[in-house]
Amino acid sequence: MKVSWKPYILTLIVLLIGFPFIFMVLLSFSSSWRFPDILPGYFGLKNWVTILGSETGLLQSFIISVVISLSVGMVSTFSGFLISRAVFYHKRRRILTLFAYFPYVLAPVVFGACLSFFFLKIGLFGNVTGVIVAQFLVAFPYALIFFGSFWNKKIKSYEDLVATLGGTPRQTFFKVLLPLAKSMLLICFFQTFLISWFEYGLTSIIGVGKVQTLTIKVFLFIKEANYYYGALSCCLLIFPPVVLLYFNKRYVFKNLV
Amino acid sequence: MFLEVQNIVKSFNNEHVVKELDFSLDAHKTLSILGKSGCGKTTMLKIIAGLVEPDSGTISLKGENITHMRPEKRNIVYLYQEDLLFPHLNAFENISFGLRLKKIPEPQIKEKVNHIIASLELHGQATKMPTQLSGGQRQRVSFGRAIITNPSLLLLDEPFGSLDAGTRQRMQSLFKKLTQEYDITSLFVTHDLKEAVLMGDEIGYMRAGMLQVYKNKQDFINDPDTGVQEEIEYWKSLKG
Amino acid sequence: MLIGVVPFFAAFIYALGYSFGVMGVLNNGFTTRFWESVFASGEFLKSFGYSAAIALVSLVLSIGGALWVTLKFRRELDKKFLSFMMYLPLAIPGVVAGFFMIQLFSKAGFFARIAFQLGLIEKTAQFPDLVNDSLAFGIIVAFITMLIPFFTLLFLNVYKNERIEELSILAHALGANANQVTRRVFLPIILKKTGVLIALYFIFLLGAYEVPLILGQESPQMLSVLIIRETRQFDLSKISEGYVVAVMYTLVVSITVILLFLPKRKKAIYES
Repeated sequence: MKVSWKPYILTLIVLLIGFPFIFMVLLSFSSSWRFPDILPGYFGLKNWVTILGSETGLLQSFIISVVISLSVGMVSTFSGFLISRAVFYHKRRRILTLFAYFPYVLAPVVFGACLSFFFLKIGLFGNVTGVIVAQFLVAFPYALIFFGSFWNKKIKSYEDLVATLGGTPRQTFFKVLLPLAKSMLLICFFQTFLISWFEYGLTSIIGVGKVQTLTIKVFLFIKEANYYYGALSCCLLIFPPVVLLYFNKRYVFKNLV
Repeated sequence: MFLEVQNIVKSFNNEHVVKELDFSLDAHKTLSILGKSGCGKTTMLKIIAGLVEPDSGTISLKGENITHMRPEKRNIVYLYQEDLLFPHLNAFENISFGLRLKKIPEPQIKEKVNHIIASLELHGQATKMPTQLSGGQRQRVSFGRAIITNPSLLLLDEPFGSLDAGTRQRMQSLFKKLTQEYDITSLFVTHDLKEAVLMGDEIGYMRAGMLQVYKNKQDFINDPDTGVQEEIEYWKSLKG
Repeated sequence: MLIGVVPFFAAFIYALGYSFGVMGVLNNGFTTRFWESVFASGEFLKSFGYSAAIALVSLVLSIGGALWVTLKFRRELDKKFLSFMMYLPLAIPGVVAGFFMIQLFSKAGFFARIAFQLGLIEKTAQFPDLVNDSLAFGIIVAFITMLIPFFTLLFLNVYKNERIEELSILAHALGANANQVTRRVFLPIILKKTGVLIALYFIFLLGAYEVPLILGQESPQMLSVLIIRETRQFDLSKISEGYVVAVMYTLVVSITVILLFLPKRKKAIYES
């Protein structure tokens, strides 16, 4: 039989994908796992109990991360939606879109290094607001490009139709454009949320260690060689996106090609 | 005259799309306009609706100059070939859309919409979403949505272009009935010769941005450019 | 609109000014000596070549793998459970991927333990350098881990949207064999449709930061790591040299973007 090898490969793929997740969870329950041992010396809830006791500040980091990512996601989605409309109806929309790609493809960390001077000048260095603004500068061009595919002749026709039916621009926006864009707004929010949630380099530069999001924590634990807490923070970092993906997977690729 | 269009000119990128548009229309009449695609008919309708600004010329409705008035103030509804129903609203809500914009009291909305649903032969379809309706039904909802706002002027841009022949015929007679029932004044653009003759109280022919309105149907038929003569010859030749 | 553009140009001009010594702490007036010393040391070119090589190898292997998975398993991956499994890796950020690679491949990591238990090694030092190594093995494996699922999902999407299934059947009917269908229908359509995105991913990998920061070695370093290391130094002239590299990197990326996206401008059609 020609196809008989396929199930084995598929099982292997599933195992390979599942492995990191299982490994991280197990590692987060472990401690004192010395070198040649295959199994850790301790296995239990100790590490997880510790974060609830807030000794390491992980819980705090989780909350800061949530606040930052929610803000970045909401602000960049909403402003991206509004401004992409102006861009689409602009005569030079190709050039304007091209400009949006510059900050989008530039490594955020390099962008941050060159911007840190300005953040220092306006007092946005080393605080949560600064990190939100910095991440917004990366997430906003993404949202702008994302919504580029929403505006087209058909949407323009809807706008015109509502105008001739007696609708003001305000009514058009709230009664027609927002409902039409609802699912795209949601996806864009998730994507920009994730951009912010995963962001490390920019945050480390603008936050200068004072704003400790989860990614920063993971890094600190790697540096301290505290792998058990590292794995624990990785779990906190991975599982919210897994839940988001579960609900939104069918939309992720909708606008890429 | 009810609608007067004078010397309207419009060009895009140095290309004259509409040149020297000059015509008028009485109240409660339908002017059907025949034209091939790209002759400027859509641009002409959009100028009258206020969606495109003309380079020069004036438009007046009921004696009032509306050339530079915003589209939402003109009380002119422009209907696309596509039905453009709002996908997030059901048939009833689509039809009532314009009334809700004007914040008309709920009982009145109900009464008006139910009345028009009956005239449109859409019984039992009110709560259906656009995707559950057939092409002809969608087009009727789209009509209802326009007519219910009681527009001074209705602009129709190939409204039946995407329907199959049978549905198209039924829609034509339904539209005729509605124009009488609701005293509608309209411009009806089509590329279908028979439809143009059938729908219009008056007939115009548009070519390369110029519109010619005929004094009567006989003039239209006699003009060799409109293609009526060719059509007659063709059917005659078949008959032998 | 300005929100996107102004910071970008501000950042660029700041970096440019710094690289010529007209901005920053060492503000001694215009000088080209930082540019000269960067070029003399060859560090930028080395780092650029190193980053480009890593990005290219990772990308080629990932795309090859993803194409193979798409070609062989597209029907199986349509099933609910498997399709969700393919999405799971998208939830893994660079930091976590880097951390995971250390856990697996370091000298006291998962594989070293297994090698020890199997009697392959006796001390940790005998385990090969697989992270922070000169061949960037760890970095490339981390990139591939993150990219194969992404590209597989992307290709599966294109496969459906472009109706490649129907086109393949048509090609078969026209007399093509399986191999020809793959080479003349499957590959060209998928690669053409995703070409711009693949190029974008090359740029993303070129500027990647977290993964090489965790898994890279002292020298050469990938571009972002090099730039950040230099601009964070106490030696003030090093900072200026860091900005020289930043300016060059930004120029390369910007020019690539222009080349990628500008040709389509001719197609722009105005409202008619």
